[in-house]
Amino acid sequence: MRPPETGSRANLYLALGAIGVALVLALVWVPLDSGSGLIVKVRRQVTIGDALAPTLAAGMIAIGGLLLLFQRGAEGQGGLSRANLAFLLRFLLLCAAGFAIMRWAGPLAVAGANLVSDETLSYRTLRDTAPWKYIGFFLGGTFLIAGMIVQIEGRLSRRAVVIAVLAVAALIALYDLPFDDLLLPPNGDV
Amino acid sequence: MKQFLKAAATALGLAAFATSAIASDWTPPGPIKMMIAFTAGGGADTQARLVAEDIEAKLGWQFIPEQVTGKGGMNLAMAIKDQPNDGTVIGMVVTETLGYNMRAANAGVEPSDFTAISTTAGFQMGIVSQSSKGWKTFADVVEAAKGGQEIRFGVMSPKLADLAYLLGKAQGVEFNIIQVKGGKAVMNGVMAGDMDLGFMAGIQAKGVAAGDLVNLASGLSEPLKQTPEAPTLADLGVQYNSDGYFAFIGPAGMPAEARDAIATAIADAISTEGNKSNGMITKAFGGPVVIAGDAFQVMAEKDFAAAGELMSAASE
Amino acid sequence: MGVGDYIWMGILAVFQGPEAFSLFGIGISITVLMVLAGFLLGIIVGATPGLAGPMAMAISLPILISAFGFSPDALLPVMGFLIGVMKGATVGGAVPAILFNTPGTPDAYMTTLDGYPMTRAGQARKALKLAHVSSASGDTFSDIVLILCAPFLAVLVEAYLDLPEKTALLILSLAFISSVIGGSVGKGLISMGLGLLAVYIGTGEEFYPRLSFGTQALAQGFPVATAVLGVLILGEVFRALEDLWHERRATAAAAEPAQTGDQHLHWADIRRIAPYIARSAVIGTVIGALPGIGSTLAATLGYSSGARRHARKRPQAVQFGEGAPEGIAATEAANSSVSGANLIPVLSLGIPGNAAAVFLILAAESIGGFNPGPGVFKFTAETVNPELVAAFGLFTMMMLANAMNWTIGGAFMRMAGVMVRVPKPILLPAVLLLTLTAIYVQEGRMLAIWFAIGFGVLGYLMRRVGMSPLPFVIAFILGGKLEDTARQAFAATGGDAWFLFTHPIAALFMALAVLFVALSLRKPSEAQR
Repeated sequence: MRPPETGSRANLYLALGAIGVALVLALVWVPLDSGSGLIVKVRRQVTIGDALAPTLAAGMIAIGGLLLLFQRGAEGQGGLSRANLAFLLRFLLLCAAGFAIMRWAGPLAVAGANLVSDETLSYRTLRDTAPWKYIGFFLGGTFLIAGMIVQIEGRLSRRAVVIAVLAVAALIALYDLPFDDLLLPPNGDV
Repeated sequence: MKQFLKAAATALGLAAFATSAIASDWTPPGPIKMMIAFTAGGGADTQARLVAEDIEAKLGWQFIPEQVTGKGGMNLAMAIKDQPNDGTVIGMVVTETLGYNMRAANAGVEPSDFTAISTTAGFQMGIVSQSSKGWKTFADVVEAAKGGQEIRFGVMSPKLADLAYLLGKAQGVEFNIIQVKGGKAVMNGVMAGDMDLGFMAGIQAKGVAAGDLVNLASGLSEPLKQTPEAPTLADLGVQYNSDGYFAFIGPAGMPAEARDAIATAIADAISTEGNKSNGMITKAFGGPVVIAGDAFQVMAEKDFAAAGELMSAASE
Repeated sequence: MGVGDYIWMGILAVFQGPEAFSLFGIGISITVLMVLAGFLLGIIVGATPGLAGPMAMAISLPILISAFGFSPDALLPVMGFLIGVMKGATVGGAVPAILFNTPGTPDAYMTTLDGYPMTRAGQARKALKLAHVSSASGDTFSDIVLILCAPFLAVLVEAYLDLPEKTALLILSLAFISSVIGGSVGKGLISMGLGLLAVYIGTGEEFYPRLSFGTQALAQGFPVATAVLGVLILGEVFRALEDLWHERRATAAAAEPAQTGDQHLHWADIRRIAPYIARSAVIGTVIGALPGIGSTLAATLGYSSGARRHARKRPQAVQFGEGAPEGIAATEAANSSVSGANLIPVLSLGIPGNAAAVFLILAAESIGGFNPGPGVFKFTAETVNPELVAAFGLFTMMMLANAMNWTIGGAFMRMAGVMVRVPKPILLPAVLLLTLTAIYVQEGRMLAIWFAIGFGVLGYLMRRVGMSPLPFVIAFILGGKLEDTARQAFAATGGDAWFLFTHPIAALFMALAVLFVALSLRKPSEAQR
């Protein structure tokens, strides 16, 4: 638990942020990026336009922000620290790396196979053929899980890699083996 | 016009069968992604999935169904446009997507940006109310409206909203038109009493047969198969109609042999008695209707061109 | 078709569905099997610290749908599995609370107060048995209330509420949920507003997908799974991961106290705890019937009400917080009796009140053919209303799961005790990839995974600033329905801009909505999570 002052300052920032977001939404984003206004008249009938609902959502956010502004002393919970943001950044970088491996390992493997042999395979047509379809998910998934365990434990252990491999294998068994129609990442995109 | 097209289509469908020996030389280079513009579990989605199953069983091709819903099929159209056109991506929409919706969306695409593959079934579009309302035919609705009753008319697309509006105008009454998402929502609204009547494209068949619902009028250029005595829109003074089909399309520039092979496979699947898709289509939509290839392309481009007329008629 | 016919058809639909295998010539339906499988999985999940029932429900859903398809036949087996998970997790949550002093689910926190002291005193098995009996009683009671109340409420709603009133009712529910969840109504409203905003991106009635910046990526909007799983599950996983990250150590193995003495549950014990169970079951059921309040508050209220009674009536016995069997009973009966009652607003109004209900609605929507809401309870005379049969099928499955709970639940719960040893540093990354894969197989594009991660970050931030993510999720689920109903009401009333205030019932609902927000402003809510 943080001291109440931090919490109430966090609430202040949150309230102001909410009001700011709501204003931008209601005055800029919604009016500029909707197919129709708050209300429209078609076929001699007045109907609700596309901009009304998001504008009201912005109104809710603004009211919430205002209430929080007046109530901020009442609650002292929570707040973001620099450490929180550092964690988020590292975490997102890890995810990005994992997904990049997931997306490109398969096509790279196919390109490699084409170099070695005379065939001209394409990953797209092989995206539902074993073993090609597992390459990206297996490598990317293993990287992701092992990477997180390593981060938490602060050291690279063989146990982490083994667990990651087993977990990914279990996921493949769960989603891919029993079902023809399901595609593991990244095979729906290619 | 539509009648003629349909006859031509049937002939073309048969021609496609005759040439199937040549067309079937083509096989997809990999699994086929089948985009579906309808909510999973609904009638149209079921139809698409059953077609895929039947083709898989007969030809061993592999389909991977995927939902791309929303905006009257325009989301699917915009998504499929830039996909590979080698026959490994197809999508199921309604012809309204390529016609009225594409025109109204004004999103910079037209039917020539797509390859028309084949239709599968026509709508059995009726104007339907609960039988407990006591209305037997559309004239009773008009009478009720003239008697001062507010009438809520459920529709599931802007085109149908236009038609409902013109229908009211032709009959000298005004409807409170309520647009919802999908035929199922119209049906639920009518059943719950939130709407007095509404357009339904075939989903009403069971309720009409059981006597809970009644087809007051046909939304088509021809009478409904289930209720042939109900008047058509033309009988009621509206020169437009909601004729339309469920159809498969692909990205522009699909090779003719791929397009024809897929069209033949679809026609074969839905026309073979005993097939799952055939049974489903016969039950819900009164039987398969195959308009394939160029004939379908021509029809789509005509619908697109004609859509403006309906829009301006309904917008004054 | 009378009411009796429908009930009978609902029961038959469960037991005579497609057969899985036959045992001694009696066919065992796949639905029964799925309820059992879900129930056992639920206990395991509930018993594992760091996992929760809704998580398991979310991850099973795409697998179940792939296995059973979108046909009407799929509805009961899939819902049966999910209901099983929901009920199993309710019972299982007590296991780590008692054995390990770590609540398996948030609402089991109060169980640690008396459960762990009993374990330290060598009475772990007895504590587990007490928890099981209390939980099963509360759960069963709550289901009976649901079965008796939901149909009547639905019929009332359908008879008296037109489109304007339905719109006002949705607004009232959202206002209520935002006011009661979490510490502050301001944060509740922000959370709700963000949920509405998220669901309005890419949707709308015009052909231009609003708020999409003209991009294809946003044109289809955010898939429900990405928003709900992202905020509810990934957000929680991120938060837990960071806590571990900062701790930088594997969970230390706790020393296990030796278990001694009489572990049996006697009639005398049951008679002693019965009044506490009864009182807590009523409290939990009432709270559960109100959307959004949730089992944590029910557990707190059940516990404190039990504690007061105990101190008054038996000042000489072991008091609450020192290992009193009554304390376990009061908590477990209260938090378990929320689950059935929580389905009252789901089935009669289509409004989810907690995370488990959210996933039940998602399942029904994905499969189709069953729209939770007042339309379900339409008693047709001539034809069969399949939704009503399904509803009675659901009730049957709930009672079936209760029967399983009473018979084998206790033994399985004690076996699931091994799960408390699964280390979180291994579990959480695996859960993360499992969730992301579940989303991908449903949506088929990497973009969906990034959406989910984005919502996960949002959920993480909400938790860090003390904002409950539940209003966000419920607003996301109800937002589309709210806009549609409002549009329809507006069109149906012929463009009456004041339709929310000119119809008396609608006006009453709106007044209540304002009242709830105002009240929760004056007095900080008790329902802090």
